[in-house]
Amino acid sequence: MRPSTIRYFVREGFSGLRKNLLMTMASMVAVAACISILSFSYCVGSNLQYMLNQMEDSIGISVFLNGELTGEEIEKMKNQISKVEHVENVEYISPGDALDNLKKEWGADEDIFVGLDETNNPLSHSFQISLDGIESQTSVLDALERIEGIDNIRHGQTETEVLMKANNVFRIASVLVMLVLGMISVMIIMNTIRISVVNRRVEINIMKYVGATDWFIRWPFIIEGIIIGLVGAFVPVMLGMPIYARVISSIYNYIPVIKFIQFRLTGSVFTFLMPVALIFGVALGVVGSVTSIRKHLRV
Amino acid sequence: MIHLNNVTKTYPNGSRGVEDISLHIQKGEFVFIVGSSGSGKSTLIKLLLKELDPTSGDIIINRVKTNELSRNQVPYLRRNLGVVFQDFRLLPNKTVYENVAFAMRVIEAPSRIIRRNVPAVLALVGLGKKGRSYPNQLSGGEQQRTALARAIVNNPPILICDEPTGNLDPETAWGIMQLLDDINKRGTTIVMATHARDIVDDMQKRVVTLQHGHIVRDIKKGGYSDEA
Repeated sequence: MRPSTIRYFVREGFSGLRKNLLMTMASMVAVAACISILSFSYCVGSNLQYMLNQMEDSIGISVFLNGELTGEEIEKMKNQISKVEHVENVEYISPGDALDNLKKEWGADEDIFVGLDETNNPLSHSFQISLDGIESQTSVLDALERIEGIDNIRHGQTETEVLMKANNVFRIASVLVMLVLGMISVMIIMNTIRISVVNRRVEINIMKYVGATDWFIRWPFIIEGIIIGLVGAFVPVMLGMPIYARVISSIYNYIPVIKFIQFRLTGSVFTFLMPVALIFGVALGVVGSVTSIRKHLRV
Repeated sequence: MIHLNNVTKTYPNGSRGVEDISLHIQKGEFVFIVGSSGSGKSTLIKLLLKELDPTSGDIIINRVKTNELSRNQVPYLRRNLGVVFQDFRLLPNKTVYENVAFAMRVIEAPSRIIRRNVPAVLALVGLGKKGRSYPNQLSGGEQQRTALARAIVNNPPILICDEPTGNLDPETAWGIMQLLDDINKRGTTIVMATHARDIVDDMQKRVVTLQHGHIVRDIKKGGYSDEA
């Protein structure tokens, strides 16, 4: 294809859109709505996944033991726990260490720590157990419950399950919404291109008589679809970037507990999202225009 | 150059466009296709342009059997055929120059060639100074000259004209005929469907008369009817 021909297609594509401005805008808004949902669901979904991964990294079971124990008894129990399948590492934490950790986490000046020291420590001996994966948690818990001398087991099973379920439900819901909006976009684009075809019927007729190929006639309409898709995808993602940054910083500011959880950085989310959104937008545009051309352009 | 062998076209509703027509046109000929409305002139023109395919028989243009061409090859057939219509079919939002250049652009001619050929062909049809005008600023005759320039700018060996003078007053029509005659003398084969008795009589070219879809008369040189 000659560069002059490509320039011609692009010029014709833009001119077709200009002559049909209202429908062009409607199509772009429809694509933008679809891409907004895509971006939103990716932002939320990828952060949920990110949190799950963080939890997986730090996934552990805390086991608290009954009463006073000797070093020997503790060592024996540690061996017992280490033998459980899927247990990767067992770390002993003495009541003193536990108190220090708490002080570090909460700040040593908190009222709650008044009167607590090495001699007066209500915390028990415990083990911090790490696993080889989040999915082996249930079987390890079963095994631990059969070991004598364990007072209490704490684990993050319910939290991870809730997060996983939320992630799945969210994914399905956003795919459904995207499908519906995608179909609506395609239909609106089809209509836009149809009007454009009707506007140019004399031109198309002449093109046929002087021997333009079918593809030469079709390209300007496909370019129209591509432009609709590109603009419809680019605008919401560009707007989404500062919004995402704002929302994340607001969450950090207003809900301090959240500090334990890390959100994905704006840069890393959008370097992935931008090209995906553009490809998706162009795909919507091309599907819309090609379907319309097949239906309405008799070449 | 153009050969129709026992061509019949029956429309889906059962009506016959043309029936068992055989017609042979040599390179450089100027042929009038005449006949009353419904005689099959339009069907014949559409068959030549491959807007329609024959129900039976063969159409050979430039040694290519057009009834066997695939869709993808049709554009390349059409590049051998210039077409002029009664209603001019110019693009109202393009200038005369752009209307003519458009025909070259859509077959992807290089810009350099477009810039060279369009002014030359506009000069040939007598519109050398009208390149910047829009169709609505032109007379009927000038519009048809523009359409003619567009039809011949790609240098097709065959020019097909469907009632090209139908919308023009006699004097203007005569100007167009002079132009067609010039184009013909430069070697282009011309097939022209017309109602215009005076023009056919004056030109004294080959005349093929259609009636009810049949060729009823084909004379090498003559008028619209035997009296002429």
